[in-house]
Formats: sequence, C-alpha cells, structure tokens
Amino acid sequence: MMNTMRLAEKAVAEETIKITARDVQVWYGDKHAIKDVNVDILANTVTAFIGPSGCGKSTFLRCINRMNDTIDICRVEGRIALDGEDVYDRRVDPVQLRAKVGMVFQKPNPFPKSIYDNVAYGPRIHGLARNRADLDAIVEKSLRGAALWNEVKDRLSEPGTGLSGGQQQRLCIARAVATQPEVLLMDEPCSALDPIATGQVEELIDQLKTQFSVVIVTHSMQQAARVSQKTAFFHLGNLVEYGDTDDIFTRPQDPRTESYISGRIG
Amino acid sequence: MPIFWTVLIVLALGALGFVLGQRRALASAGDDHRKLHSRPIYYGWHVALVTAVPALLALICWLLIDNESALRLAPATLVIAVAGMGFALAHISRAFRARNAVEQVIRGLLILSSTIAILTTIGIVLSLVFESISFFRLYPWQSFFFGLEWTPAFQGNSSLGVLPLLWGTLYISLIALLVAVPIGLFAAIYMSEYAAPRIRGLVKPAIEILAGIPTIVYGLFALVTVGPLLRDWIAQPTGLGEGASSVMTAGLVMGIMLIPFVSSLSDDIINAVPQSLRDGSLGLGSTHSETITKVVLPAALPGIVGAILLAASRAIGETMIVVLGAGAMAQISGNPFEAMTTITTRIVSQLTGDNDFASPETLVAFALGLTLFVLTLGLNVLALYIVRKYREQYE
Amino acid sequence: MTDLTQTPAAIPTPTPAPRKGSLMVADKATIRRNRAEARFKAYGIGAICIALIALVFLLFTVIRDGAGAFQQTYVSIPVTLSADVVDPKGNRDPAEMAKVLTMSYGKLMDAALTDWMAANAVQIEGLSQADIKGFFSGQASAELRNMVLADPALVGQQVDATVLASSRVDGMFKGRVTDESAARDAKTSSQQIALARAMEEKGALVTRFNSDFITNPDASDNRPEAAGIGVAMLGSLYMMLIVLVLALPIGVAASIYLEEFAPKNRWTDLIEVNISNLAAVPSIVFGILGLAAFINFMGLPRSAPIVGGLVLTLMTLPTIIISTRAALKAVPPSIRDAALGVGASRMQTVFHHVLPLAMPGILTGTIIGLAQALGETAPLLLIGMVAFVSTYPSAPPEGLMDPASALPVQVYNWATRADPAFFERSSGAIIVLLIFLLCMNLLAIFLRRKFERRW
Repeated sequence: MMNTMRLAEKAVAEETIKITARDVQVWYGDKHAIKDVNVDILANTVTAFIGPSGCGKSTFLRCINRMNDTIDICRVEGRIALDGEDVYDRRVDPVQLRAKVGMVFQKPNPFPKSIYDNVAYGPRIHGLARNRADLDAIVEKSLRGAALWNEVKDRLSEPGTGLSGGQQQRLCIARAVATQPEVLLMDEPCSALDPIATGQVEELIDQLKTQFSVVIVTHSMQQAARVSQKTAFFHLGNLVEYGDTDDIFTRPQDPRTESYISGRIG
Repeated sequence: MPIFWTVLIVLALGALGFVLGQRRALASAGDDHRKLHSRPIYYGWHVALVTAVPALLALICWLLIDNESALRLAPATLVIAVAGMGFALAHISRAFRARNAVEQVIRGLLILSSTIAILTTIGIVLSLVFESISFFRLYPWQSFFFGLEWTPAFQGNSSLGVLPLLWGTLYISLIALLVAVPIGLFAAIYMSEYAAPRIRGLVKPAIEILAGIPTIVYGLFALVTVGPLLRDWIAQPTGLGEGASSVMTAGLVMGIMLIPFVSSLSDDIINAVPQSLRDGSLGLGSTHSETITKVVLPAALPGIVGAILLAASRAIGETMIVVLGAGAMAQISGNPFEAMTTITTRIVSQLTGDNDFASPETLVAFALGLTLFVLTLGLNVLALYIVRKYREQYE
Repeated sequence: MTDLTQTPAAIPTPTPAPRKGSLMVADKATIRRNRAEARFKAYGIGAICIALIALVFLLFTVIRDGAGAFQQTYVSIPVTLSADVVDPKGNRDPAEMAKVLTMSYGKLMDAALTDWMAANAVQIEGLSQADIKGFFSGQASAELRNMVLADPALVGQQVDATVLASSRVDGMFKGRVTDESAARDAKTSSQQIALARAMEEKGALVTRFNSDFITNPDASDNRPEAAGIGVAMLGSLYMMLIVLVLALPIGVAASIYLEEFAPKNRWTDLIEVNISNLAAVPSIVFGILGLAAFINFMGLPRSAPIVGGLVLTLMTLPTIIISTRAALKAVPPSIRDAALGVGASRMQTVFHHVLPLAMPGILTGTIIGLAQALGETAPLLLIGMVAFVSTYPSAPPEGLMDPASALPVQVYNWATRADPAFFERSSGAIIVLLIFLLCMNLLAIFLRRKFERRW
C-alpha cells in the first residue's frame, strides 16, 4: 500500500518546486562570485550544476544550506527559499536548516570514529532515535540506502577511515541520509573516486531521488547526463542556462553552453 | 690569560695563511685566476682552516682534560698552527681542488656542531650517574627510593627518602595542570574556532606574553602576592593552613605559567584537524560546539594528550615557583594549603652554599636530579612520540 | 520505523507542508542546543579572560611593588667636617686620613643632624640617639668619607651633604613604614618618623630618581637602600655575549647540517630526537651538568659568568636549532634547484642563497632564545651565582672568570632576604628585566614583520 501511495505522489511531485533562488549575489571580499542567479529546484529530481572550474557552481551550492556562513569574508544577497521560506531570514537557525538540507563533500570526509558512529552522528545530535534499537534501525536503513550495508555489516565498529575511497564516500552519503534531510547537496562527490566507485555512487544517486531532492555539482558532463533530470550551466558566476538535461545537451540555447558542451571552453 | 692570547695568535696565523694561500695560488697560475681549479679565495680559506682548526681543536681537548696542562701546552698549539700552515701552503698548486677541500672541512665542522646536542645529553647522563653512584655507595638505595622521611642534617645520620619530595612534586603539578589544562584548552578552542581574526591577533600574543615572563617573576608573584592572598582569604578563614607558602600557592601560579604552553600547543593541534571534518559535521546540521566536542576534539585527542604530558613534564621540572612558593616542609599530606617541598627545591637547597662532595647530603642532589631527569625524559619521549604519530595521521 | 520511511514521501504534495515545522521557528531541541552552544562559547571567553586577568594582575603587582625602587629618599643637611675627627694628625695627608674609620664619619653625620634640629627649632619628645644614628643609611658615612678623601680641601669646612637616608625613613615616604609598623619594628620608632616628617617640611629630605639602583652593586643585608643591580646587569650581559657568540654559530651550523646535508639514517634520527628532548629537559638539570662538568671536572671558577654562559648556551642551543631549521625549511626548494642548476656546489648553494634568505627567521629565533636565557634562574643558582658579589667584574676576557651575579638571580637573592625593604628592590629588578625582555621581543617581532617573506 505504501508503494502505491508513493508512486502516486511521485507523479505529482515531478513538478513540485522545492528550492527557489531569486537574484542571488555572492561576494568573496571584493570578488563578485555569483551574479543574479535565478533557479527553481524541483523535489524528487536530480539537478546537476555544471560549468568550468571557478564558475561559482560550488559556491552557489554551499549557499543553499548556508555552509558559506563559516567563511568570514563571504556575503550573500538575494533570496533563497526552501518550501517558500527564506533561508537567509534572520530568524532561521542554520543548524535547523542544515538538518533539512544535507551535504556530501568533494573529498570523502568520514569522522575518525567507527562506521556505526559515523552514521549515527546525525541522528544522535538531532535526537531522532528514541532508544538504541531505533538508532540501530536508522543506521542499518541508511547504510542499506547507501548500498554499503552488505560490505560493512560485519565491521560496524571499525574506523570509517579504514574503508576504501568509494566506500568512504558512500559512508558519507549514508551519514547524510541518516539525518533524514529533504534535500541532499553533493559537491563533486565522485571527483576523488575511481571509475568503479563512481559508477556505484551514481547508481546510488539515482535511487536517492525517490526520497530527496538531489543537487549535484559535477565537472563531468557525462556524469551530469547520466544522473540528472535537470541541468544548470554556470559560467563566470552567471547561471547561463537551466533546463531539462536532455535539452541542454542536445539543443543548447546559449552559445556559451554549446561551446562548453562541445569542449571549446572548460 | 695566556689561553686567550693563544687563541688570538692562532686566529692571526689563520688570517695570515688566508692571505698567503691566495697569493701562492695566484702565483702558481701565473696571476691568471682562470687557470686555477677553484676561485683564489678558496685557496686562502683552505690554508686558514688547516692552520687554525687543528690547533684550536687540540687546545679545546687539552682544556677539557686539564686546565693546567693547557697552559703548558699553549706553545705546542702554536707549533701545530704553524705546521698546519706550512703543510697547506706546500700543497697548493694550480690543479689542487681547494673548494672541495674547504667544503670537506666545513662539512666536518657542521657535523661536529650537530653532535654537541648528543654530547650535552651524554654529559648530563654521565654527571648524574657518576655522582649518583657515589651517593648510593654512602646511602642505601632502598632507603632513598622508598624512604618516607626527608630530614637532612649536617652532622650526618640524615634520612633522605625521596617519596615526600615526589609527593609534593606530583601534587603541585596536578594542581597546576588542573588550572592550566581547562583554561588553556578552552582559550585555544575559542581562539582557533570562534574568534574573529582581529581579536585573535590581539589575544593570542597577549596570552603568549605569559609564556615569555621568566619563572622567577612567577615565583616572586607567588611569594609576595598569591601566597598571602590565599592565606588571608581561604586558608586561615577555613582553618586549613597558616602559612603563605603552600601547595595551592605554587600550583596555582604554576598553572598560570602553563596556560600559554597548553593553549599554543593545543591551538596547533586543533588547527591540524582538517577543515573537511568540520564541514562534514556542520553539513549534517550540528552546532559549532557539537562539532568541536564530538568531532574536532576526539580527532585531536592524541595530540592534546601529548601536549598535556609535555605540560606535566614542565610542571615537574619547574624550579623557581616552587622554591619561592611551596615552602620547605617535606611531608606527605592531602591538604593543599600546607607547605610541601619538591625534588627541584631540594636540589637547589642541597647544592647552593658550601658543598662537601663527599657527604651524602650533597650527593643526594644528584640522585634527585637523576630521578627528575628520568621522570621528565620518560614523559617527553612519550609525549613527542604521541604528537608525532598524531601529525603523521593528518599529513 | 514506519514514520521514517513515510516522512520523505510526505514532502511532495502540491502545497508543501514542512516536515519538522517552519524554519522560522526554532524547535525545542534547537533552542536547547543553541543554549549549549552559547554556554560553550562563554567557557572559551571565560578562559581567555582568566588568562588575561592573571597577566594584568601579575604585571600590576610587579609595577606596584617595584616602582618604589626607582625613587630614593636622601638627607640633605649641612655637615661640618671637623678637622679633629677626619684629620686627627692635621697634615691633610690622604694616606693618614684614610686611616680614619667610616664610623667616625657616622658621628659627624649624627652631630650634623642634631645641629640641624637645633638650628631649625625642631624638637621631638623622646627622640633617642639611636633614632638619630638610624636615620642615615650605613652607606651615608662611607659616601661622606669618600667625598673627603677625594678632596682633602673640604676638611674643616661645612658642606651641604646629600646622603642616603635609611631604608626605614625611605619606606615612610613609600608607605611601607607607618606608625603602627614602627611600633613593632626595632629598627625604627614613631619619634624617627616624626623627625622625618619635620625634615621633609623644611626641605631637608629629598626624594628623587634613584640612579644608584641601576649602577650600584648589591649591598649587605642591613643596607637595602644602597643595593643596586649594576653587577647583576653586567653579569647577565657577559653571559648573553657568551651565549650569542657560542650558541648562534654552533646552532646554525648544526641546523644546516641536519636540514641540508644529513643523510636520513639512525644517527641523524638520534640527533633529532635528542634535540627535541633536550629542549624539554628541566633547566635545573643543566645546572647540575654545569656544576659537575664545568666546575668540578674542568675546574672553572664558581660564580663566574663563563660557567653561566656555557650552561645557558647548552640550554639555548635546542631552541636556536629548532627555529633555525624551521627557517631553513621555509626556503622553497626551487631556490636550491636554481643555484644547483647553474653549477654551484651544495655548500655554495646553502651559504650564498639559502642561509641569507633564512637569516631573519634565524635571528628572530636567536633573540627569543636569548630572551629565555636572560630570564633563566635555576641553573645559575647551582653554579654559585647566588653568592654575594659587591665588586664589579673586570672587562672581558678576564672578567668572564670573575664572580658576578645575574639579574634573575639577584631577584631571587633579594626575595629570600628578611628585610621587607628588599622586596621593593626585587620587584624593581624584575621591572628592569622585563623591560629588557620586552625590547628583545619587540626587536624579534620587528625583524619578523620587516623581513618576513611569503613564498
């Protein structure tokens, strides 16, 4: 019954707007890193941000869950709304925001703790589990969700830093999933991984979109084409083009997009 | 002061050799320096070094062996210098590789300099061990290591048990660490994780001023200010003690002294924790303090433990604060407002004034020094090992 | 478990209902966690405040206690140098006059004070002869005697002498001696204090800058007013010179070898471990080394700056080596490659290029090492520098063998004396010591700022 309900809702969700960005500007000191970005990110969709390095795609990603707050010289203007609520409103606690908008980073960064403690970290600080059994269940579900359970179920108490690169990144995804976010931001999650591990993570991303709205920054156009339904192309701090992934790659509207896709700028 | 003059003459001979060497080299090449293997200055240096270095080394050796013979052998030094100069000058020819020769000698001098550290350690160990052996010949080691009483007397028949001193040392160090570790650690955390760069730029040097103040100043601070304050406000009203010198006085002041030591070491260690771990934790929606206590500090724990061990070794070896602040009562007591004494204080009191190096009362200082050295060395080696392992983890 | 699976699916409704309430309203758990955050931050600020308060309090007490050492009270009254006392033979022969004891001059001073009281109509009930005698410093009669011996023409005349008042009279002006404390102190009385007040009114007591404190040698236990830090400063200067001359070249040479030439093997590992351990060996152990090796084994004299200098050199070496190696390491390898690439030998590369570039860092480290050595006390106690030294050491090199004191040891020495007047001297010496340290550290900071390079 649950499955049928989810399928029904998924159909509706296709066009639900999760995040709205309007006229977003970002400065790093004097540097104008992001200019006038307007974008709507849909629920239960994988949205890819592509563009040459230094184009601002990661910066914009970090604005969505206010990770840029930790950088003193960074200043954000404009409006980014999650479910219609401005995340830069004075009343918003970034801690609460980040619980809803999880993040996976470029380099796998497992904590120097056991695999179990890595995954249980989020649920613990947010008080999601009522008791140990609850927590065990969340950890198992998250590791299964990150397609890692079978590989680590016998060594949950071993340090997370002892896993291979691909496993570490999936552990980080499991860690983010365990917090039960609504949006998952991924900042070049495969750039430190070999092709096999990349394939595993991409497969995982595809599954994750049934539960979350996923935003992925990538420098690989092939990856964007493989995993995303929507694609945004950034260039020199501007959002040049945003649309269905198929359209962007086959019928780009902007000459800059076309140059990038055909490999002339990058 | 004939030794001083000998040195001066040898140096003058070296300078003369420098000039002669250059001249002779140029002459051998018919005044065309391009035909020489090395630049002329190297021929000069070669003669100067061969003149002065062996002569001065010989002089130092004689000095080390015996002061008197050094005086008698001063002329011999000059002979060595002149012989060296003659030998080097005779060697000079157009094809002589003067630069390589000079570099060999300099390299030798560099190696010699680097062994001074080893020689110092050997010197420390030898001087402690030899005199300690003479002490243990006069006084049974069981009574030293397990004796509960410390009552040195001039006439002999003293009880020289180390345990009361060890107790005082450890008790004071413990109080010092109880003061320094929380304050230093929290200060380091605030400065590396919270403070704006401008505040950090002001506060960090201010706290480090505490590290630059000589320990004698802290000692006087304990004696004149902190001791009477504690006595008048705490010890006497509560009836815990009557004197200004106490374990608490010394421990508190030593704690203040150790704050910058703990904070700057912890600061380095906390900064070595990669930013990606902080990002990972913040990205999951944890607060800054949760990130610090649950991720950063556990990751930095080995390094911080190492820093605390180094601070403990500092506390155990600290002298002036305890000499002026802790008192001189050798006793084992749990009351922190009573005067107690430490290993370092006793070393000072046994070795200042007129010493009789045949009596156990004087020689015991070396056994105490050996105990102190072994104790602190153990802590240092352990701490440096832990810190090094910790750094390797994040490199 | 069920709500875990359902919640994500609950999001995609046309009008999204946020899962855990609005972002605009902090939930209970968040409020609690933010309180914990604020508490944690407050601990940090508290820790910093405690450290800073301790620093300010320490400096405040030192300055409060020590400022008095730079002011001194002098008695300025006419003294008749009666010829039958200072020159009993009457032939003005300095050799004969030198036989007159200092004590006789003391009597002259006492008489002068009695005369002054009579002349100025100052009468104090119960003023005893001991009070008058104790009014002057023990140093005063010696000063008067030196004045006469230097200029025999003064004999028989009345001169305006300005001599040191005793430490009790001096203490009265610094608030150290009061009527209450005088009642308990055998060395002063309330009559003496009354006399001092009267003399001050009439301008016969002056308080002025105490240059003697800077230049005088130490004085004996009952003359705190005459004690100065001259010998101690000179001793410290000698030792710093020895440390600079020995530790800088040896330290730099050792660092160059370890950083630029040493092969990676057991021996160099041993040296490295050794150096980091030596840096953490308690300073008093170096004192024991100095006593055993330099004094007992090599037969160098006790209390001599040369022994102190050698001990401090060994102590400072690890500091200098560690900072020099850091400075050498900071020079990028590209510089070395460039020099080697044009055919320089490794030695030339190091001495022509790497070393000059590392020099500011090396100098900074050396100054900081010297500052540490300047404040070091414990090892110097063991090599006898705590002895009472009232004569200046002669000029180097012979002076390096003469007995001397050192600034921090002088502080300790005075701190352990019974007379509270010495505490003021002790704190005064600390002020001088701290000023030196401050200058050295400022110089180091200046060098670092001026020459610091970022590669």
